[in-house]
Parts: sequence; C-alpha cells; structure tokens
Amino acid sequence: MKKAIFAALTLGTAAAATVLARRARGLRLSRGLAALQLALRGGARYAGSAPRLFMLAGEHRQQLRNDLALQTAEDVATTLGAMKGVLMKLGQMASYVDDSLPPEARRTLGRLQDSVPPMSAELAAGVITEELGMPPEQVFAEWDPEPIAAASIGQVHRAITRDGRAVAVKVQYPGIAETIEADLGNVSLLRRMLRIIAPGQDVEALVNELRERIVEELDYSREAYNQQLFADYYDGHPTIHVPSIVSELSTRRVVTSDLATGARFSELAGWSQQERDLAAETIYRFVFRSLYDMRAFNGDPHPGNYLFHGGGEVTFLDFGLVKHFTVAELRPLMDMARYLCVENDPEAFRRSLEDAGFIQPGAPLSTDVIVDHLAVFYDTIRKPGELTITGDYSSAVVRRFFDVRSPIAPYAQVPRSYVILQRINLGVFALLGELTATADWRGIAEEIWPFVQAPPSTPIGEAEAAWRARRPAEQIRRQAS
Amino acid sequence: MTLVLSAEVQTVAADSYPDVSGSYADVSGLVERSAAAYASSVPEHPADDGFFGAGSVTWRLSTDLSGPVAGLRSLMIQALHPLAMAGVDQHSDWRGDPVGRLAATSSYVTTVSVGDKATAERVSARVRRIHEHVRGVDSVTGQPYAAGDPALLLWVHAALVDSTIAAAQLFGAPLSAADADRYVAEMVAAAELVGVPRAMVPDSVAALQHYLGSVRPILQATPAARESMAYLLDPPGLDPDVAEIWQDVREGTIASLPGWARDMYGYEMAGPLTDARRTEIRQALGVLDTVFLGEPGVLEARQRLALRMRAARVA
Repeated sequence: MKKAIFAALTLGTAAAATVLARRARGLRLSRGLAALQLALRGGARYAGSAPRLFMLAGEHRQQLRNDLALQTAEDVATTLGAMKGVLMKLGQMASYVDDSLPPEARRTLGRLQDSVPPMSAELAAGVITEELGMPPEQVFAEWDPEPIAAASIGQVHRAITRDGRAVAVKVQYPGIAETIEADLGNVSLLRRMLRIIAPGQDVEALVNELRERIVEELDYSREAYNQQLFADYYDGHPTIHVPSIVSELSTRRVVTSDLATGARFSELAGWSQQERDLAAETIYRFVFRSLYDMRAFNGDPHPGNYLFHGGGEVTFLDFGLVKHFTVAELRPLMDMARYLCVENDPEAFRRSLEDAGFIQPGAPLSTDVIVDHLAVFYDTIRKPGELTITGDYSSAVVRRFFDVRSPIAPYAQVPRSYVILQRINLGVFALLGELTATADWRGIAEEIWPFVQAPPSTPIGEAEAAWRARRPAEQIRRQAS
Repeated sequence: MTLVLSAEVQTVAADSYPDVSGSYADVSGLVERSAAAYASSVPEHPADDGFFGAGSVTWRLSTDLSGPVAGLRSLMIQALHPLAMAGVDQHSDWRGDPVGRLAATSSYVTTVSVGDKATAERVSARVRRIHEHVRGVDSVTGQPYAAGDPALLLWVHAALVDSTIAAAQLFGAPLSAADADRYVAEMVAAAELVGVPRAMVPDSVAALQHYLGSVRPILQATPAARESMAYLLDPPGLDPDVAEIWQDVREGTIASLPGWARDMYGYEMAGPLTDARRTEIRQALGVLDTVFLGEPGVLEARQRLALRMRAARVA
C-alpha cells in the first residue's frame, strides 16, 4: 500500500528537486516571481496528472479581515483579476503535488490568499439569493451573516435549515468564475511562462488542461458529489465521520453540508498520547480504506481538515480534491505492497514498479539497489509489531524523496495518475509524525489489504469489522465491481 | 497612443540599444527594495490624511496595477529633458546603485502621496536641500542647470502626472476624464512641495497637455538618456523567466509613450496595441503586483490604505 506509493513518489520528486536546484540559482529580480513560476509548474504537473481533482475548500486564512470586506462583484474583479485569481488556483494546485515549494513560494502564495478579504454580509447574501432563489434569512431558519472560515474562492457561514439541521454553507465569491474565465480567455502569458518552465512539453495541451481544470474547480457541485460519496461509504462507521451534503441547498456556487464541531488539530497536541494514537489510527484507516475499498483518495491531508472527538473519532472535512482510481491503476500499488511486504519477492516487486511506469524497464540497476533505496518508505509496514512514527521519520522520508543523488533517480518517475499520492507521503505521514503516533501499522495494513484481509488487530479494527459486517451487501458489491 | 512594437521592430530596437554592460550595476533586489521602501512609506499611525486625503484620486492611483508602467514611462519622459537628465547622470548614484535610486524615488512619491502632512513636508524639504547642491553644465547643450530650478522640477512633475494617467488608462482600473482632471489638480500640491510655485503648475489635463507641448522643442534623447533608458528597458542580469515578464512591462511602457517621445528614442510603431496584447500586458502587471504583494509589509501597507479609503468612501 503506502510503500508502493512511496516508491512512486520518491522517484518523480527527485526530478523535481533537480529542477528546483537549478532554478534557485537564477533568481535575481525577484525570488517571488520565480515562486509564482514554481506554482505554475506545480499547477501544470497537477493538470497533467489529475484527471479528477477538485478545488481545495477550507483554506483558513490567518484572520478574516471583515473590516476590508468586498462589497461588490466589481471589488471581486479588481481583487482577483489580472491573473491573480488564476495564480491563486495554480498555487493551490501546486501545493497539492508539491510540498517542496520553497519558502518564498509559500509566502507569495499565502500573501496572495491573504490579500483577498471576505465578502460583506450583503454580498454573500446576494449569492445565496441568486443561487437558492431566496435571501438566506428565508432559505434558512437561522443564518449567521458572520463567516466562520475562508475558502479559497469563497467563505463558510453557519446556518440552521428549516427542518432544524445545523449546517455549514460555503458561498463562492460572485463574479469570481467570470473573472477567472476572462483571464483564461487570453492564455498567451500563461503559454509563454509555461514554455519557459516546462521546456519540451506540449505547452498547448498543458494550457488547455489547466484551463479546463481551473474552470471545473469553479463548480462546487463536484466537491459536493465527492463528499457525499465518502459520507455514504462511511455511514455508520465507528470512528470515521464525514458530514453529509444537503443537496437541495447545494449548487455550483453554494455547497451546504452538516455542520461538524470538534477539537482542531492544534488542540490534539495537548491530549494524551493514547488519544493521539487512536486519532492517528483512524486517519490511517481512512486513507487506506478509501484507497483500497473506494478506490478514491482525498488528496488534502491539511491539518485544518480534521476535527477530533476523542476515542479515535475523527470528522473529515473538505473533499475539494478527490482522485478516483481505476482498478487497473490500483493494481500495481497493491502488487508492489504484496510482493515486497508479504510474499518477499523482490523481483516481482521490481516488475510491478516497471509495469506501472515508476521505474524504466531494463534500467541498469540491481534489484537490491532498488529495494534498498525504497526500503525507508516501507519501514512502518514491513514487519509486524508496534512502531512509532516520529517527526524524524517523516522528515527522513521527505529527504529521501529529494535525494537527487540516488542511483535510481535517473530511471525513476511518477506516472501521471499517481502524482496525487504524494500527499500520503508528504501530508499524511507528516501529520502522523507530528502526533508521534504509535500503532501496529502492519497489523492495520493487513486488515485493509485485499490480498490478506486479516482479522481485526485493534479495538477500532473490531468495531470497523462489525460495521463492515452490518453494511448492506449491495453497497459492498458496488465497491467490488 | 495605443501602439505596440511588432516582434521584428522590437528586435531591431533591442539591438540598437547602446551596450551598457559594465557601466551600471545589475538590478538584483529591485522588487525587494522597492517593496521595503513602499511598505515603510505608508504610515502606520498618520497624524492626518496628508495633502490629498483618502478619498482622493491620487490615493486610488497609488495602488493601481499600472504603477510599474507609470514609473518607467515617467522616467523615459523626464529623461528627454537634457538638463534633467544631466542632473541625474552627473550627480546621483544612478549608475552605481540604480535600484537604490529607483527605490528612493518611489518611496518619495509614496510618502508625498499617502503620508501625513508633516512627513510629506519633511521628505520634500530634504529633497529640496539635496537639489541645492545639484548644479552643473550639461555637456550636450552646453547649458548650465540647477536641480532646484522650478522649470526643471515642473517638467519632472508633469511627466509623472501625465504618465500615471496614461498608464492607468491603458492598463489600470477605469479612470474617467473627470477623475483624470481631478488627479492633475490634486497633484499641484506635490509640485509645490518640491518648490514649484503654484501658479506655474497645470491643474487640468488640458493645461498639462499644453504645458508638455510647450516644452517639446527643447527635448531630445541625449546619449545619457538613451543609455539610461536602454538599461531600464532591458536591465542586465535578468533571469530568463523574469525577463519574460519584464518584456511585457517594457512593451507596455513603450506603447504608452506619446508618439513624439517614441520617435526621439527611435522606437517605431508597428501597429495598434490589440486588445489581446493589452490584456496580456495587464496580466503581466498583475503577476508583478502579486510578487510585490508577497514581499514583507506590502500587504499590510495596502490594507492600511484600503481601510482608510473605505472609511472615506463611507463618510
């Protein structure tokens, strides 16, 4: 499982690191500009790799500057026109695939986000009226005009529906879609920048892909669809919770879901190690259950996207970035895990890597070298028994990622459909490292691996097995097909 | 007015730039230092709303995207006055530290525009003091000059005001004719601060154009002007990807110049500035602005201004 993913990741990112290193020398007029170009490249990589990825919803700006609130759609256009909205989307896309963005890039993109104030209460109400036919006070039994969070191109309000459901309502900036689409109507600048940062690539195809992807992400209904998919799948799960979508109150520019409350990731740091371990186990199960059973991956393991309730119960927020895998795409990942960790067959492991396109077939490398290099990514699940994921471990994984001197780097790459899985490596494991989480990861993996299907190895595993046994056969069949 | 160089013409123009390598420092830190100068020029605790006020056109234009084009265009027009150019060329550290000189100038303009009155007066007094020592004889025309000469100061002022309007009209947020007039009238105060008697200063777009036309006979592109502008338009040591953006700023600037100024520098017009090209240049300015915004303090400075402008709008 994650090992395969790790393998994938290492390889491609090494190439990226080389480019980064080269780039770092040339910054003269402004490091910030180069930062944006990096973002652009990240965006291009994302576009080139992610047939079905969507927008990140809940980016939490440091503070909502209500005193600067945007009053009109013209304010939106002024604030996000002239490529700024496009750059913001590209920056987000870059962060999905590229945690290696240097500090300057992070800073520039972060500031760009911060430069977009929230909507005034009237402006947000206007969007609700346009989308749902009535002003928010009439659509909802109660409506809080004060936003509770910023989203990349919108903001989140609390409300209570007429039938008494407490909900979170994400509202998109009015005119943002038109503003961004207008900028994408003239792509000559984009094309020129891409030609410089992605030499040798089919720039026209990249530009088209980016344009399509961004326009697609301006439509909230995809996110709603994906969130509901996860909510349905995990319905009744003992520790994994996903807020349901209120579909009659969701449109292209408004998405309404059940309101969840709980402790933030930062608060979790003050909890007992036992609580942190349980939360980590649930996150781990969620990631790999989703991948193996739903063939879906929620590519945004941002600490802000979890709420914690104790006893290992976790609510997962934000399904703006979901990748669906085909059976054929998933198989090599499974094979790699199976051959390396279960069947102990390095040659078969190597063949799986080659079949999936991670390693060039016939590369002049011994299989031992390949296995040696990738071993670090499999450390948590090669052997049974309890193991602690430390911050040191996750940074070692990241360092290994960027090791351009690695003997396998010249022969390695990440095939398009797997790029998003970098988020497991760079996101999920960083998170677990921050929690210094301990578990028998191998035991949990064996429960989830379809080629092992071991009995429960933990109390949460027991509860999960009971939940799975209770689920309608029809639902399980659907996943298997 | 809305004209652009074709790719071919541009290449010729670029080849015809004098070789300035070696005589100027490179532009490392241009954005960083301009940003630092800008951020520190927007006051955190102003005593008052300065000479223009938060509801002024001056304030609005001070945050317009078209700023870089306005700045470059001002310099190109200012440099066509041989005595103004000689003063810069013979006295300032322009060649040794062009970035520092540009940052200081933009810091001055920002302080006078949005600083409180006491600060604006203090920096203006300093500039006037420095100008007292800037005297000499221009080697091209053989004429003596003094930087404190109101006629020269007026030229510099008029070039800035005209360029700010021209750049905004081409690439910035919409600017009505009435607001352009208002801006020219507001900026009279800025000219007075550096020592131009009020009566000399144009206070409408028409008066400004008339004044600019009246000075034209003495304008010329001296070797120093050509050299300086060639440097600015194509600074040495630019990274290729940065140069890509700079090319748009350069073309936008040249397109924004009046025909006579283009002629003096020897740039040819190859056709009208198309809407598509104009959008592209505007996008490039948006990218630059985003970079600027990413520098420490710039966002906060913008927010300070925005809050005060909003309060003025409501009041």
